[in-house]
Amino acid sequence: MNHYKRPTPLEETANAEAMTAFAEHMSQFKGVCDVLREIERNLSAIGNDAFKAALLSPGRVIQTNEGTQWQHDLDLTKITSICHRRTADGVEFAIVECLPLKSGEMKDVLNSGHSVREVLKSFLRDQRQVLNLWKEDVKAQVREHLAEKYPGHDMDIVAESFEIKLARAISETQAVTQSHSHGMRI
Amino acid sequence: METIAKIEEAQAGTAPERLAYSIQEAADMLGVNYFSVYRLIQRNKLKVCRALRGKLLVPRSELLKLLATE
Repeated sequence: MNHYKRPTPLEETANAEAMTAFAEHMSQFKGVCDVLREIERNLSAIGNDAFKAALLSPGRVIQTNEGTQWQHDLDLTKITSICHRRTADGVEFAIVECLPLKSGEMKDVLNSGHSVREVLKSFLRDQRQVLNLWKEDVKAQVREHLAEKYPGHDMDIVAESFEIKLARAISETQAVTQSHSHGMRI
Repeated sequence: METIAKIEEAQAGTAPERLAYSIQEAADMLGVNYFSVYRLIQRNKLKVCRALRGKLLVPRSELLKLLATE
């Protein structure tokens, strides 16, 4: 809740009720932030492992929906992997997503490049943009929910408290990077 | 497919027709988590529209397109 204005009892009630209504969003959001923070924290080690895997083993082949073929190096999350392929310019790395839709798996390259470390950094940057989109949508959903539940009451403070919580969670995924900028260059 | 059938059932009039679905509903129909839906939106694989207060809505046609093409 806003630190500058004490919430009224009605706002406290609305906040508690909205926290219950949006518990699934908050829980999934936190889960994603935790995963991204771990990748950020171990970025150099993950990069090294992927590079070694690309050198040592051919890895299983993943063919994307667009038809490009990549060799699997290691799993990054439940549905994303670091992969590589050999090109005329050398080894190219990619983060490949295998999204298990009900209708079938959708395989797509999310980020690619010749430096695995840079690919990982781009991936994290893009995922934070997705988190920001999610944050804005939750804020809008909370506003709509409260407007229906408490017509005629200004519940901005409650919607803003959600935004603050989610923004803090996003910034915590990033904080590690700034204090962790050195490591082996690949 | 079960999910397409669910959407088509709504179209056929056995359930109230819906033009668009929330992110939660879209995630359920596609069988993925919320983040994956937002990721599809960010990458323009799933087009969305916005309700009055800015809430994102996924048009039924977009869901059908994604479910049919994969």
